[in-house]
Amino acid sequence: MSGHRLSLRQAPPLRVDARALQPLALAALSPAEVAQLRLPMGRDSVAVGELFHCQVLADDGLSSRATATAASASGAVIGQDTAVLQLEGGLDRFDNLGWAMTQGHLQVQGSVGHALGQMQSGGRISVQGSALSLAGCSLRGGWLEVQGDVGDLAASALPGDMDGMRGGTFIIHGRAGHRLGDRMRRGTLVVHGDVGDFAASRMVAGTLALGGRCGVHPGWGMRRGSLVFAGVAPHAGPLGGLDGWPASVLPVHAPIDVAWRLLARSLAPLGGVFAGLAGRVPQRALGDTAVQGRGEWLVAPG
Amino acid sequence: MNTDVGIPNAPLVHNGVRIDDSFAEAFPMKATRLLITAHNAAWALHSAQSATGLATSVIACGCEAGIERILSPDETPDGRPGVALLLFAMSGKELAKQIEKRVGQCVLTCPTTAVFAGLDAAAGEPVALGRNLRFFGDGWQQSKWINGQRYWRVPVMDGEFVAQESTPVIKGVGGGNLLLMARDVDSALAGAEAAVAAMRALPNVILPFPGGVVRSGSKVGSKYPALMASTNEAFCPSIAPLVHHSEIEPGITCVMEIVIDGLSEADVASAMRAGIQTITARGAQAGVLRISAGNYGGKLGPFHFHLHALAQSASVAPGPSTTAGGAA
Repeated sequence: MSGHRLSLRQAPPLRVDARALQPLALAALSPAEVAQLRLPMGRDSVAVGELFHCQVLADDGLSSRATATAASASGAVIGQDTAVLQLEGGLDRFDNLGWAMTQGHLQVQGSVGHALGQMQSGGRISVQGSALSLAGCSLRGGWLEVQGDVGDLAASALPGDMDGMRGGTFIIHGRAGHRLGDRMRRGTLVVHGDVGDFAASRMVAGTLALGGRCGVHPGWGMRRGSLVFAGVAPHAGPLGGLDGWPASVLPVHAPIDVAWRLLARSLAPLGGVFAGLAGRVPQRALGDTAVQGRGEWLVAPG
Repeated sequence: MNTDVGIPNAPLVHNGVRIDDSFAEAFPMKATRLLITAHNAAWALHSAQSATGLATSVIACGCEAGIERILSPDETPDGRPGVALLLFAMSGKELAKQIEKRVGQCVLTCPTTAVFAGLDAAAGEPVALGRNLRFFGDGWQQSKWINGQRYWRVPVMDGEFVAQESTPVIKGVGGGNLLLMARDVDSALAGAEAAVAAMRALPNVILPFPGGVVRSGSKVGSKYPALMASTNEAFCPSIAPLVHHSEIEPGITCVMEIVIDGLSEADVASAMRAGIQTITARGAQAGVLRISAGNYGGKLGPFHFHLHALAQSASVAPGPSTTAGGAA
């Protein structure tokens, strides 16, 4: 394990574009060199050393072992030679953390700003706090985990992009805002808490598993993919359709044991309401019928 | 199985059973393991038996295949009962073709089944498993990525047929063999059955012939140019007096062969060792008087399994061991 620990001295007066704080890039630098790096802040820039107290991460083995254990449980492979960057403090004004990250482990003790892990394609990002909007936008690979809440448009598409999240795994232990997983195309997105309106809107493929309640119009414009309700069944809405399902989906009664078992067993290690998922028999519906109707809702509340 | 040469020379005798100073000659093959699961064990077995049918020899079957073992629900990817198969062919291309045909006709068609790769993805080059079979879905098929693996969900009349995208192909070893030379048919069958039971208890091997036993040991070529293999007259008791190079001695009236394919040289050796150990433990009084092996003089296959070395490395040496020139 190699890397640095950056402890926030004081919150910056303006928003900071922190995309340069990459575990792999910083691992090769000395603390003095890291301190000299400049990050865009408003219309100016600021040295990392002005914002953070920087120190080399002690290679006591404890952190790396913990990392390897956590990664093993999650399926993400983090080796002993992984570059690690630890950030400490309230980083709500730091945007684009983990931007296009490909390798390494970014650990954040605190909350972060907008666009966390945007276009991440590898490595692992762990946030002990919450994240603002656009977290995991266009996520392509790797492991992104937020212990707190995330804002709107998490795992969705960037403006002008056809696809939202298109790979990797994104775990949200708290709540998520509106338009979660908009245009999602691939990967696994799991939310333990409640989510806002229009979850999985325009979803193309992939898996979105919800452990809490969801707002109105889930799966709006959903073409394919799987929307799993593991905690609370979705509300049918004012225009309820067949058998209490929303009007946008059609219930279907057919055995899908194998796919369900594979999916449920893959979600079980995430704990919470997902732990016992494989033992439940889901109700299934297909939708959104306004588009192709090939997406599936799997409702198996605990 | 070809058994051109089997010249006994300074045989070893274990518990009255003579072990020729010969060797089995085996060849490199391409191999894969498939896991078939189903709603219950019976349907998984139906599918597995069908998928490994007509797969005794690459001479005319395209591949050699067999059931490796029965899997409990906690050993399968979907938590259902299952069966592990091993398939071997002479090339990766032929193996891919056989997988597609056999899975398409015998697994996809069988009620409630699903099929998965049984080897680690990094073990070898992937060949199509569900990748092409998905087109049976006629556009209704869907792909699903779960834990980094792609699966195909093909709608069928009992719900869905789920198949993993691909299966890795690795180098295997085919053609390990034992020749059991016995007093009569009863004792030959009994000995072969006991050896087969012991060998099938081991992982990573299959015995592709019916019941694990073949009675038509073959040699390479024939007097008829169209045939690539023909009966190995040296081990045929019914014509022994007429064959100048016959291996049949007085007292031997029946010979059975056990052919072994394995995922590695060590796996084949372990199976052959278990077979030899079983036969020698039963002793000559059980009717199998001699153990030999088929080879091509060492010219064709790189894997040589010497019977004496296998017999001597057996962990338990039943009965007295001697080297002697005569039959027990």
